[in-house]
Amino acid sequence: MEVLKIHNLEKRFGGKEVLCGLDLSVPEHSIFGFIGRNGAGKTTTMKAVLGLLKPDGGQIYVMNEKVRFGQTPTNRYIGYLPDVPEFYSYMTPLEYLHFCGKISGMDRSDTALRSKELLELVGLGQESCRIKGFSRGMKQRLGIAQALLNRPKLLICDEPTSALDPAGRKEILDILLAAKEQITILFSTHILSDVERICTEAAFLKEGRVAVQGTIAELKNMRRSDEFVIETAKKEAADGLVKMFGDLRADECNPLTLHGSEEHFFAVMRYAAENRIPVQRIERIEPTLESLFLEVTK
Amino acid sequence: MKALFAFLQKECLEIARTGKLIILILLFVLFGIMNPAVAKLTPWMLEMLSEQLAESGFAVLDVTVDAMTSWTQFYKNIPLALIAYVLIFSDSFTGEYRSGTLLLALTKGLPGYKVVLAKTMMLLSLWTLGYGLCFAITWGYNAYFWDNGIAAHLLQSAVLWWLFGVWVICLLVLFSALMQNNTGVVLSTGGAVLLLYGLSAIPKVKAYLPVLLMNSGSLLSGTAEPDAYGKAVLAAVASVVGSVTAGILIMNKKQM
Repeated sequence: MEVLKIHNLEKRFGGKEVLCGLDLSVPEHSIFGFIGRNGAGKTTTMKAVLGLLKPDGGQIYVMNEKVRFGQTPTNRYIGYLPDVPEFYSYMTPLEYLHFCGKISGMDRSDTALRSKELLELVGLGQESCRIKGFSRGMKQRLGIAQALLNRPKLLICDEPTSALDPAGRKEILDILLAAKEQITILFSTHILSDVERICTEAAFLKEGRVAVQGTIAELKNMRRSDEFVIETAKKEAADGLVKMFGDLRADECNPLTLHGSEEHFFAVMRYAAENRIPVQRIERIEPTLESLFLEVTK
Repeated sequence: MKALFAFLQKECLEIARTGKLIILILLFVLFGIMNPAVAKLTPWMLEMLSEQLAESGFAVLDVTVDAMTSWTQFYKNIPLALIAYVLIFSDSFTGEYRSGTLLLALTKGLPGYKVVLAKTMMLLSLWTLGYGLCFAITWGYNAYFWDNGIAAHLLQSAVLWWLFGVWVICLLVLFSALMQNNTGVVLSTGGAVLLLYGLSAIPKVKAYLPVLLMNSGSLLSGTAEPDAYGKAVLAAVASVVGSVTAGILIMNKKQM
């Protein structure tokens, strides 16, 4: 079953078209990486799913229920964590979660139980001071607790790790991994190592459309073994190889390093062996999401 | 209803913990004390200045002050209190848009109209409390020093000015739903009041404008009768309902 389905979503701000026919489907119990450059339309898509922005075209379904702008009943299925969550700084974490419980329509005892449980999960169980003094990482953890409070089916995280230091990032990713058993997570980010670490599926967004979507393995396979790199010991040797194999191209930073396509891999190796060209390094490039990202968003 | 009360409770906690409640109470108490105090000190101040005034050709004769002097001061000071009130609460909505705190509440299923209703309820309750406190203090001192009986239609006059405050606050709510920053809210609210004040120069429309309620102090001296404010009261009430309704409709359709 698909927790989130987006069909032909369009959104313009003034004359600027931010989303132009975006299609996306997020299967249940996946951690779905939503990847794109700044301004690609990630936050706009997420806000449209939450009913905070009115789309100019297309449909959004959460748990097979159509999302309506303004009054949005589908938000009962969703937990939302913005990139920099802001809370009422004069409240304590427990007071804030109780406030969230009340406005979500949860009953008092369930809110109390769930708040305690979640504050423990995010490591804020002992924090009784006001949110005012919280660090960014603590706010992010409280953000996860509030997002999970009403047991959502879908957790939407908008670049949750972008503003954090490595330790804070690890903590957030660990919490998301721990939560994945019960819920589906839609996770926007630029940090591709985070996607490789926790996501099961991902989509690359380009110019308001999904350019590529699939499981992480499928995405990596799209670029499997289509490139190799050879590094020579001398500049003349590199120039000789470029002359011999026209499609070899020199690295922008290091003129001794040449990139070539898979079809000439063995021919280049043979040529290097036959002509006793001193080679420092020759290797197939492992497919990475980064290379795919750069190619897709080029 | 549960969500509305939860948000209202949040609003109360906010004004208590951010110190806004204390500031407002001090402000209205100060204005409440200032009215009779200025009246009481007027003869003494004039006596102090009598020599300078005499040099300028003014003769200070026997100055008598009474409750009327104090009430006149009340109607001079209360607009300043209202301006301070509007400035203090001009970021009630926009502060939440800017920080993103409202965004999380809305994604939890809180409808926009409940935000407008809860904030309106809090703003009007606080205005009523502050205004009532200021009025009660002035009334108490006046009763102690002089006789409030000298002022005609005292309660009607006070209620009319309170309604003017309610009208201004509801404009604040409307512009807060509409605008993204508090400078815009203050300028629009002030601009709307000034525009109507300017229009009140036209004799034919004056009676229908809520800004007429600002002159309710003239009831005290008997230069006007309460009936003269009937149309302005109706216009103010209609405008209050219209502003809050428009605020709700705007908030329901607001893109965050």
